[in-house]
Amino acid sequence: MKFIGIVGTNAKKSYNRMLLQFMQKHFANKAEIEILELKDVPMFNESKDQSDSPIIQEFNQKIEASDGVIVATPEHNHSIPAALKSIIEWLSFNLHPLDGKAVMIVGASYNIQGSSRAQLHLRQILDAPGVNASVMPGSEFLLGKAQEAFDKNGDLKAQRTIDFLDSCFAKFMKFSDIIAQMNIPEDITYEPGTFKVTAVGHNGDLPMEVTLSDDRIEKIDIDTSSETQGIADVAFKRIPQQIIDGQTLNVSGASITSRGVVDGVAKAVKMAGANPDILKKRKKSSGPNKQNVVEYQTDVVVVGAGGAGLTAAARTIQQGKKAIVLEKFPAIGGNTVRAGGPMNAADPEWQNKFDEITGERHTLKEISEIDEKTIDDEYLADFRALKKQINEYLKENEDKKAYLFDSKLLHRIQTYLGGKRTDLNGNKIYGQYDLVKELTDHALESVKWLEDIGVKFDKTQVTMPVGALWRRGHKPLGSQGFAFIEALKKYLESNDGQIITDTAAKELIIEGGQVKGIIARSSDGKKVIVHAKAVVLASGGFGANTKMLKKYNTYWSNIDDNIKTTNSPAITGDGIRLGQSAGAELVGMGFSQMMPVSDPETGELFSGLQVPPQNFVMVNQKGKRFVNEYGSRDELTKAAIDNGSLFYLIADDAIKETAYNTSQAQIDKQVEQGTLYRDDTLEGLAKQVGMDPATFVKTVNDYNSYVDAGEDPEFHKSAFDLKVEKAPFYATPRKPAVHHTMGGLRIDTDAHVINQDEKIISGLYAAGEVAGGIHAGNRLGGNSLSDIFTFGRIAANNALKDME
Amino acid sequence: MKLVGIVGTNSSESTNRRLLQYMRQHYSEQAEIEICEIDEIPVFDEPEDKTAPQAVQVLSDKIAASDGVIFATPEYDHSIPAVLKNAIEWLSYTTRPLINKPVMIIGASLGALGTSRAQAHLRQILEAPELKALIMPNVEYLLGRALEAFDDDGNMIYEDKAKELDNDFTEFLSFVKLTEKLTANSKFFEISKQFSWKQVANGEDM
Repeated sequence: MKFIGIVGTNAKKSYNRMLLQFMQKHFANKAEIEILELKDVPMFNESKDQSDSPIIQEFNQKIEASDGVIVATPEHNHSIPAALKSIIEWLSFNLHPLDGKAVMIVGASYNIQGSSRAQLHLRQILDAPGVNASVMPGSEFLLGKAQEAFDKNGDLKAQRTIDFLDSCFAKFMKFSDIIAQMNIPEDITYEPGTFKVTAVGHNGDLPMEVTLSDDRIEKIDIDTSSETQGIADVAFKRIPQQIIDGQTLNVSGASITSRGVVDGVAKAVKMAGANPDILKKRKKSSGPNKQNVVEYQTDVVVVGAGGAGLTAAARTIQQGKKAIVLEKFPAIGGNTVRAGGPMNAADPEWQNKFDEITGERHTLKEISEIDEKTIDDEYLADFRALKKQINEYLKENEDKKAYLFDSKLLHRIQTYLGGKRTDLNGNKIYGQYDLVKELTDHALESVKWLEDIGVKFDKTQVTMPVGALWRRGHKPLGSQGFAFIEALKKYLESNDGQIITDTAAKELIIEGGQVKGIIARSSDGKKVIVHAKAVVLASGGFGANTKMLKKYNTYWSNIDDNIKTTNSPAITGDGIRLGQSAGAELVGMGFSQMMPVSDPETGELFSGLQVPPQNFVMVNQKGKRFVNEYGSRDELTKAAIDNGSLFYLIADDAIKETAYNTSQAQIDKQVEQGTLYRDDTLEGLAKQVGMDPATFVKTVNDYNSYVDAGEDPEFHKSAFDLKVEKAPFYATPRKPAVHHTMGGLRIDTDAHVINQDEKIISGLYAAGEVAGGIHAGNRLGGNSLSDIFTFGRIAANNALKDME
Repeated sequence: MKLVGIVGTNSSESTNRRLLQYMRQHYSEQAEIEICEIDEIPVFDEPEDKTAPQAVQVLSDKIAASDGVIFATPEYDHSIPAVLKNAIEWLSYTTRPLINKPVMIIGASLGALGTSRAQAHLRQILEAPELKALIMPNVEYLLGRALEAFDDDGNMIYEDKAKELDNDFTEFLSFVKLTEKLTANSKFFEISKQFSWKQVANGEDM
């Protein structure tokens, strides 16, 4: 923790300086206190602004960076010294580092009062809107008769005084933490539009129009024609500019006309369904900062620094071209860093080294027996070829334990079958054949490409994420999806690929029907323009935008307003909107996917025991199984919703060992916190969770018998592994959360974005979840990672080909 | 009647300065008001040498020679400007001309409140033992929306505020005459004029 101490006087000799120096020494193990002096601070003068002078900037930057400020003030004429008031005036004029900053007041004085009156004045001054500091209430530390309070090496003599100072300081440490949380800027979204309000003029109200986009105040127009010329005009130009520059209503200006403009804009904000107080609390717009614009020139500009975006950039650089990635958030990785890790790619040479597991052969047989009439024409030839492969495999291994079978054809047909769905309005949808073929033909290539980039895969096991329908997952050795992002980031940084964070793409630059770049805005208000020969949209889907989900949804009977999401909060459909602005066609927007096994509170995947599907044992709140736990994600989700959404994954000590991305320490901690249930007996577990013990025990015994038999008459679970038999037993609470949006921009197999007249939008490409057409009504687990790394490369390859 | 009007800011654009200019012109028959600026006064830092800097001495002599002082203060961050406090600190630390001097406090502001908080602070400051000014009680003249209060040739547009100022000013004149009798034989004047922290420390009457 870092505090700034301000000696409240410029006098050479000061007991307040001694007090701060004592605190600096005395609290050194708890916090760092840097002491600033007022000696060189010029007397404040509104007409001679010296905000940029070194001494004022030193105060401004050091206070801004600090966790809090400690002001030690003497008492001159029953108030604070002019020198202290002067620095406060400098820091509440064009600079506002004290805005929302935690402040502690202490003071020493000759007389018994210990600067009590000065401290009261200081509190009122620091509370003034122009300063807007957060002064710690109470704990008045008044050091009276300061001339007798210190010993010769500057330490306070009276232990009682030291004890009180300790308690005040401890309280301030906590206070500054709380204040820090209050300062996390709240996001604000508006109903876009232009709103008619009024500003206050001399001879009555003036018409004012405020234009809002979904997250910015774009324009403020005030009709001052009926106004008499003169002083008032300054406010009508300066205030709107400050509001727009800082995106804040916390602007300096006390006159009636200035307040009138602020109140008018506040009314418009309210009309747009947002709360103006958020803008009033925001950091003060630090003066008329010049509208600085940053421009870049590159070959390919990529929107979104998740897996697809970083892949497109890396692939561009591999071919000797320049790439810039814009990322809206401070951190890169998008949803990819949250993925479990396995990416699907048929690799028979590798997979055949592993044994089949009980139930897999049964699944192959079922696929080969599907009636050809139900297969859509484009897929018929592939289906027949797959049937031949399966029958040969089954004949060859009729009476012995076989190896794990797989092929591109199986991956293609399962992606097609897994995604074939009909929505509530009876519209049928399935994966576009040429796109699904492109994905399944090149997925293995992507695995090899990632290995060249630096990703190390775990060759010792074939993993399968939830709802993948088959074991073909290549999982990196590193932790979760982060391993992909880490390798791509390292590659880009060592080959001067540029990633610009905190910069949200706002507009496509389109000239003569050709996309020529992106206009973006950085979080500190700068306009960022990137000129490029190609734009790759890789900003993901809209899984964190509940309003957009509800608007397009035609698949789920209901989506709650407070439904959780596994997605990063950045995933709000920005790329889809950008594509639409260039006339792009959208496909399959009504179909979104829920992740059935999500944390009921946070929506995340890897809490509790997230085991492979063959070890899923799902029981509802009454302790009964209710679904084939090896089924697709939407089958699991629909069954869960029909059983009250909340259900439990049951595991024993052996199954616990197969859980992904966790550790015994994390498990114990969650049991302690009560978000994961553990008991030495099944009956005990049932009681903890509120199920009828007898019902629950019967369910587990039945399940164990099906594992032995390799056959589940109740729900036809298609693959088994371990039984639930070795104490202690666990129950992980789960609930469906929004996970993936299959719909998006229409693309072709070259990742061109296609417009509503079936034509390529020249210069515009899309890769990953922002695009639609592949996963149709339901995405297979593990297919998204294959998608982003395959189409990320395709987008870059074609962007460069088209450039020649 | 000779009065000193102190402009409580160093800003070149000041509605408080215009208010004092209005008073000087409007009450020229009743009193001669000399308007004093404080922007030349150096930053006070409790120097060992207690002799007043030149700008402070000039202001102090005028105050000493006046029958009363009018402070016109804006409001910066809910208090009086640092530059005004700076002038007051010099006066209290060196020549202390404000002891028992009748004082009237007024203020003009762009907003509606008319510097009410700054005036309250100024009252407390001027009553500190090191200053001991005689502030005219229960008169608070707050001129809000001061930007639009004067026409081009300096007349006050708001009639009600103009009338209120006339009353307050007349009352101040009678307050000045009244205090002359009161302080004529007061013992305060014999005690040394030099400010000393030691005297403050022992709570001696200064």
